[in-house]
Amino acid sequence: MTTALGPRRPVSLTVNGRAQNLEVSPRRTLAEALREDLGLTGTKVGCNRAECGSCTVVLDGRAVFSCSVLAVEAAGRVVETVEGLAGPDGLHPLQAAFIEHDAVQCGICIPGMLMSLKALLDETLAIGEDDVRQAVGGNLCRCGTYPNTVKAALAAARALRERAGAEAR
Amino acid sequence: MSPAGPPPRGRLLVHGDTPPPLGRELSVIGRSLDRRDALDKVTGAAMYSSDMTLPGLLHAKILRSPHAHARIVRIDTSRAAALPGVHAVLSLENTRGWHTYWYMIAQPAFPEELAYAGQEVALVAAETVDIALEALGLIEVEYEVLPAALTPREAMAPDAPRVPVLDVERPREGNVQQPVYVRARGDVARGLAEADLVSESRFSLPTQYHVDIQTRCCIADWDGRRLTVYEASQGVWNVKRELAKSLGLEEEQVRVVVQNMGGGFGSKAGAQRVVHYAARLAMLAGRPVRLELTRPEEFLSHPRRYAGEVTMRLGARRDGTLTAIDAEIVLDIGSGSLYAGRYSMTLHQISELYRCPNVRVRIVAVYTNTTPTGPQRGVLDPIATFSTEAAIDDLAARLGLDPLAVRMTNYAADFQGLDDTTPALPYTSKHLDACLAAVAEAIGWSERDRPRAPARGAVRRGVGLAAYCIERGGYAPFSAKADVVARPDGSVEVQAGVVEIGAGQITVLPMIAAEELGLPADRIRIHHGDTDGTHYAPSSHASRITSEVGPAVLQAASLVRRRLCELVADRLEVSPLDLVAVDERIHVRGAPERGVTFTEACALMTEPEIRATGSRAPNPDDVIFRLFGAHGAEVEVDVETGEVRVLRIVCSHDIGRPINPKLVESQQYGGAVMGLGYGLYEEAELDGKSGVLLTPDVHQYRVPTALETPIIEARNVEREDAFYPYSAKPVGEAPLVGVMPAVRNAIRHALGIGIDQLPITPARILEALAARKASADAG
Repeated sequence: MTTALGPRRPVSLTVNGRAQNLEVSPRRTLAEALREDLGLTGTKVGCNRAECGSCTVVLDGRAVFSCSVLAVEAAGRVVETVEGLAGPDGLHPLQAAFIEHDAVQCGICIPGMLMSLKALLDETLAIGEDDVRQAVGGNLCRCGTYPNTVKAALAAARALRERAGAEAR
Repeated sequence: MSPAGPPPRGRLLVHGDTPPPLGRELSVIGRSLDRRDALDKVTGAAMYSSDMTLPGLLHAKILRSPHAHARIVRIDTSRAAALPGVHAVLSLENTRGWHTYWYMIAQPAFPEELAYAGQEVALVAAETVDIALEALGLIEVEYEVLPAALTPREAMAPDAPRVPVLDVERPREGNVQQPVYVRARGDVARGLAEADLVSESRFSLPTQYHVDIQTRCCIADWDGRRLTVYEASQGVWNVKRELAKSLGLEEEQVRVVVQNMGGGFGSKAGAQRVVHYAARLAMLAGRPVRLELTRPEEFLSHPRRYAGEVTMRLGARRDGTLTAIDAEIVLDIGSGSLYAGRYSMTLHQISELYRCPNVRVRIVAVYTNTTPTGPQRGVLDPIATFSTEAAIDDLAARLGLDPLAVRMTNYAADFQGLDDTTPALPYTSKHLDACLAAVAEAIGWSERDRPRAPARGAVRRGVGLAAYCIERGGYAPFSAKADVVARPDGSVEVQAGVVEIGAGQITVLPMIAAEELGLPADRIRIHHGDTDGTHYAPSSHASRITSEVGPAVLQAASLVRRRLCELVADRLEVSPLDLVAVDERIHVRGAPERGVTFTEACALMTEPEIRATGSRAPNPDDVIFRLFGAHGAEVEVDVETGEVRVLRIVCSHDIGRPINPKLVESQQYGGAVMGLGYGLYEEAELDGKSGVLLTPDVHQYRVPTALETPIIEARNVEREDAFYPYSAKPVGEAPLVGVMPAVRNAIRHALGIGIDQLPITPARILEALAARKASADAG
């Protein structure tokens, strides 16, 4: 019945801390694998050609457009999606700050925004407005929440710095 | 927080008794509560139509016309239908006479003569997307390609081809929709003759695409008796009624569900074509069908913003007093104007904003062989606002006057009548003067000509502003209803047939119920986005939910409170009129100890629930409903590269009282960002020969990102307005409309040149600078 599909290949990867073993077509994108094979529909697909950023996930610590990474390319690698952002202690500071600063309207771009910023904050907490703008420069939000995105990201960085400071003491 | 005592309720627009005053300070309204859908949206738990699946789901794809104007001579879908895995095919062959509906405007579903490149020719529903795509390739279509008219100029030429339109029931003459819209007040010819100066400006305002980040996606499920549609639409009730009409079903047979949607901005105000197609395919196949558009298809097929060419002639005396306003607008309405022809929307800015005895507005709406047009945030307001506010600045420059002073010289406190037959009446409220003052102060208007140190090479700085007047505050049929239900366990639910579009509808409506019942907002649940279990509510468009559904929720909650107070009054042996609901208690006014908790009050009910329905009454006709406000912009322009950098946008909306200030500001940020896109970046390009859209993606069609977004400040003016619930005037669309003229006027201030074509790209700025230089050299 199926057409134009090559033989499926086994792909093992880590998603949100859990090992996953998939059998995927070689042309399946990481976004499709996450959404359709693993049911992780938090990752959205708004253009399917690396233009809108709504499919952004973190792959081995870097923010990538998952619509433009093949699932087979993710073999053996570590993927983080919006579903893995909250921890056992509750929301990630980015999530809490997005709520508090109302950086969410229709919400469709938010998973991508959050993952772009997660990659930034994992790299450094010493960020300013320009770093935030650069980090989400590839995430389109047609509701125009950007001013609140900036406020929220800076607040989250502040919260994480304070947490790190408290732990250091 | 600003002081917000109990507002007057004298004119709250509901059927039946006006809800009594609360008799206490507000406790929920006016607080910046977090939006209640935010948690699901930041965790990825929020399900959009594109995230859903059903057992046995089929996938549909669309074959589209490659031609801007063509006749289908022959279509043969038999090979596609025979492909294994294909379950249903739709085309002209098996749907003759079928119409889809949008705003209840009938459109032929599969016309023989195609009006634009990208128009739907056939659909296939199959086991997989791949099979559906393969099947599309097996459909044989023979087209007779016809000459196309791609611009109003081409369409109005004497030998122009006749554009086959989607809004087939509208009268037309040639390619001009009828009647040509004209409204006039006084005598424009005399007003122009009396002027010391006639200032003429011509503006070119392009189309704008919505670019919802979620592409259109719906799932239709037909069980042989009832159709259920999981949609991304702005209005479940609009979709329900339009689908029922299109498919010949009873309304009760159609259920529409929208829990979350990824952007609307007017593009999803009613039942989109995709919904009709998916529903029909599901009914044919007997299995649920999913139809999702790709990003390029979004550009090709859905109604976009009207484009307009505008000529403004302002007559004025030397002191800036207007003697005449003469506006001629040629609208490109594409192959269909899917907004019921509300061209009157342009009037309000042009004919009302300034005191002027002689006004004429003429609108010629022209069909072209391009994608149909429809509402987008502000609909026609941007055309009217830009043209008026840019023309006022041009006039001021030509008279050597301060543009703000010219605005105030001509300030119109009251409605002047749209034409000689309509009476002059008061507005529900108008504080535009305060908005202009707030913007002027925030943007540094009085110091705008003081040189800024240090001057930076080729960079010029400018400050501009613009005022707006738009017609919002409720629309016919004025039949919004909502229920509030209290149950013996103390739980309360608002039931409203509204869609959460991202503006905070499902946050604000429970706040209203909470206020009336003396509860915290998070004690109120809301059932929404579903035609089952709700009454009719308008779509979340035209800035209308708070002003239309809000009063219904307020009234319903007030009625529930009354019933609970009766129960408590019986128990306490006092008059219900002596009771007050506050702090999760119902007690004797002034004696908090003499009362019961809200939950205890609910436990007194003997019925299974206390349910009340609130109902919005029509707007009265002795007062005029408009919204006012102003935008300011500060820009830097590089005269070597033509690059514009917007430093700051200030928004001042005559808001009444915000129910949730945080959400209001978010609307203002979003409107400003979309306005910046329209003003500076977003430009689509059609191939002038084939009519094919060359820019159907967000790489070439550039919507603003965080990188371009400047500082945006809200300096709203808060005053009471008794015609709105808690004085909350609408805010959804207004934040866009003044941005483009404010930026344009700031660029004019920076360069001394008015750029009259949007978007104001670096190329257009360099061209204008070169033209000035050439003219100076020639002079």
